[in-house]
Amino acid sequence: MVTSTFHGLEVARRALAAQQSALHTTSHNISNANTEGYSRQRVNFEATNPFPTPSRNAPQMAGQLGTGVTAGQIERIRDQFLDFQYRAENNQAGYYESKADALKRMEDIMNEPSDSGLAKTMDQFWESIQDVATNPEDGGARRVMQQRGQAVVETFNHLHDKLTDVQGELKNQMDTNAGQVNTLVNQIHQLNDQISRVEPNGDLPNDLYDKRDLLVDELSEYVNIDISYESNGGHSKATAEGQAIIRLADDNGNAINNGTLIDADNNMQGLEVQFDEENGEIVSGVGIGAMDENGNVELETEIDAHQFSSPGKLQGLIHANGYMNEDGEPTGDYVDMINGLNEMAYEFANAFNDQHQAGYDLNGDEGSNFFEPLDDSSDAAAMIAVSEDIMNDESLIAASGSGQPGDGSNAQALSDVRDENLEGLNDQSVQKFYEALVGDLGVKAQEANRMANNTSSLRESVNFNREAMSGVSLDEEMANMIKFQHAYNAAARSMTVVDETLDRIINQMGIVGR
Amino acid sequence: MRVTQGMLNNSMLHNLRQNNAEMHRSMEQLSTGKKINRPSDDPVVAMRGVDYRSELSKVEQFERNMSEVRSWMDTSDDAMNEAGQSLHRVRELVLQANNDTYEDEERANMASEVKEITNHLKEIANSKVNNRYIFNGQNTVEPRFDADGELIEDNINNDAVMIEVSDGVKVRANIDASNAFSEDLFESLDGIVSALENGDLEEDADDGDATLNEYIGQLDNHFQSLVNERADLGARMNRIDLIENRLTQQNVTTSDLLSKNEDADIAEVIMNLQMQENVHRSSLAAGARILQPTLMDFLR
Repeated sequence: MVTSTFHGLEVARRALAAQQSALHTTSHNISNANTEGYSRQRVNFEATNPFPTPSRNAPQMAGQLGTGVTAGQIERIRDQFLDFQYRAENNQAGYYESKADALKRMEDIMNEPSDSGLAKTMDQFWESIQDVATNPEDGGARRVMQQRGQAVVETFNHLHDKLTDVQGELKNQMDTNAGQVNTLVNQIHQLNDQISRVEPNGDLPNDLYDKRDLLVDELSEYVNIDISYESNGGHSKATAEGQAIIRLADDNGNAINNGTLIDADNNMQGLEVQFDEENGEIVSGVGIGAMDENGNVELETEIDAHQFSSPGKLQGLIHANGYMNEDGEPTGDYVDMINGLNEMAYEFANAFNDQHQAGYDLNGDEGSNFFEPLDDSSDAAAMIAVSEDIMNDESLIAASGSGQPGDGSNAQALSDVRDENLEGLNDQSVQKFYEALVGDLGVKAQEANRMANNTSSLRESVNFNREAMSGVSLDEEMANMIKFQHAYNAAARSMTVVDETLDRIINQMGIVGR
Repeated sequence: MRVTQGMLNNSMLHNLRQNNAEMHRSMEQLSTGKKINRPSDDPVVAMRGVDYRSELSKVEQFERNMSEVRSWMDTSDDAMNEAGQSLHRVRELVLQANNDTYEDEERANMASEVKEITNHLKEIANSKVNNRYIFNGQNTVEPRFDADGELIEDNINNDAVMIEVSDGVKVRANIDASNAFSEDLFESLDGIVSALENGDLEEDADDGDATLNEYIGQLDNHFQSLVNERADLGARMNRIDLIENRLTQQNVTTSDLLSKNEDADIAEVIMNLQMQENVHRSSLAAGARILQPTLMDFLR
């Protein structure tokens, strides 16, 4: 018993087709060598079923004869565990990077240590008070003290303004970030939709998977997410990924209540950052609700800011800007700094005014206020001002302790106010309190920078592993290409051989003696 | 591990970026001369920096105050020296006049000299430093004597002018004018003038006026209290010399601390920069060699 005359032709044809699809896939890989998020693809060659298949009426042969090759399926080479690691590092890096950025701006604003920060202005003010103490009757010295006092006030105002400005910018950034999250969710939703139409046909939409994974990677920078998959049914292959279900996750990776961004039915929810009604700069929570395909969000629930535990850029910004804690008190890096400056300005102005009132001005009258009196510490750094009377008439500076124009003892006492321990500043002097503010800022920023460095280098290293697994190596593709080319050529040759054998039996047999 | 061109490319870029960041840091340190430029570079250094700067500004201010104190004291000392010489001259004149050999006319001349000296002493008592009357206590804006040499009762003030010259240390800058330029002194001088004019010699002791002899005694007392005041001032001048030395020392120490705290060790930074530059150059060279060739170059 022999096989079909044309068996060889069929085997060679299959080989040609299979090698050709491998060549095309190689070409696809090379084309996408620099495409972000692309994973290299591989054609799984499978030997086709041999002949004959065992059955009652199977032909009697020496054994099973191979029937050639087929391209089984085209797979992408990717490790989901590495994706998981990458996303876990990505949200940490996002958190610390946005925090480090915000704190860096704060450092720029505070401008310490330098010869132009608040500390220096306070030093100069102190010097000018000492000059008044030594030359109490000198209008020039008083004028200098008046102007230096004005400089201190302006520096306080400037710091307060700039810090609140940045808070405003952070607010914009938060809105943009929430919008970005919504856009990404929308795009993932669309890919889910496309994938759900391909998979039930038994195909693997590798390039769509890549696109979706890239979007999920991007999303994981803004918020930490928990991702799971649900089969699309139909004739889906076992290796098909299915629908991606995406939920907000806390820093342990556990899904947050009410935090589903895309559910199993591919319904979307969007985020919107909510701000406190009284103090518009402070984040009260993150609203969440159903989102349509145009990105319109209908808010349903609100996750309180202190319970929004999904680390990422968004949370980093919330923590830097300031949010309501469990007790309904504003807290956060910018809020803390602004409050610190407010308290400092308030206590300083009060203590200074008290001492100022204890003295006598150049006319021998009792001193009034040097700074405009402040009601309380809220926004004190923005409100603090040198009293208008003093600005109009420097002789009203109460330098004298005795009423005599040549006495500078009260000015000396005024100069000591900076080093006086004030109850409102936790029994610290203004000087020490400010040093502590700067020190705190330094420690926070240092920590954020360090963590941003660490997490981003961890992310890099995970990404390196991922690239090692999924990245396209041009040398490898070239080698493969040669391999497939040779196989293709060889298959063509074997077809030629079959062709020649057929030529022999068809055209040259049975013509004996012709 | 499977390494692709893309990975080589990325890690080269990553490393170059890191090299650049490090070199940037060294460059920043070299061009500012500071170890740190923001609090997060080193929070402790930043905090101390703020502290040392205030400390230094204080010391410098105290040095400025010190020169003010000095100018008060030097002027006071000079003035009292002059006043002492003037009193000395008066005493000589009175001694001379007390001698019977002088005629009334000559005594009248002496009287007018004493009068002039009295005016001079009043001018001294009205001395100013930087437009401030230094012998009128804390009332430095008004003179002790008016243009006619009359004492202005309302203006008299003998309180101490205290100037802070070191943390919590205040020094009296003026002298007690009630000792050096007392009302009694000028009364005595006026008495001497009229005694000279009237010729109140020893033998007319019974007419109720003080005699020249008695005035000599008074003059000696005034002179003594002037000398005492000057000695007191001298002692204070010695004291501020000591304080000034200490301030100079403090200035040096604090500047030194400030510098040690935040100034970059230039030699070290340059060494580091050199090393970073070597690394940077080699990574560029390595990158250029490794990234270039591919299998394509050899496939024919």
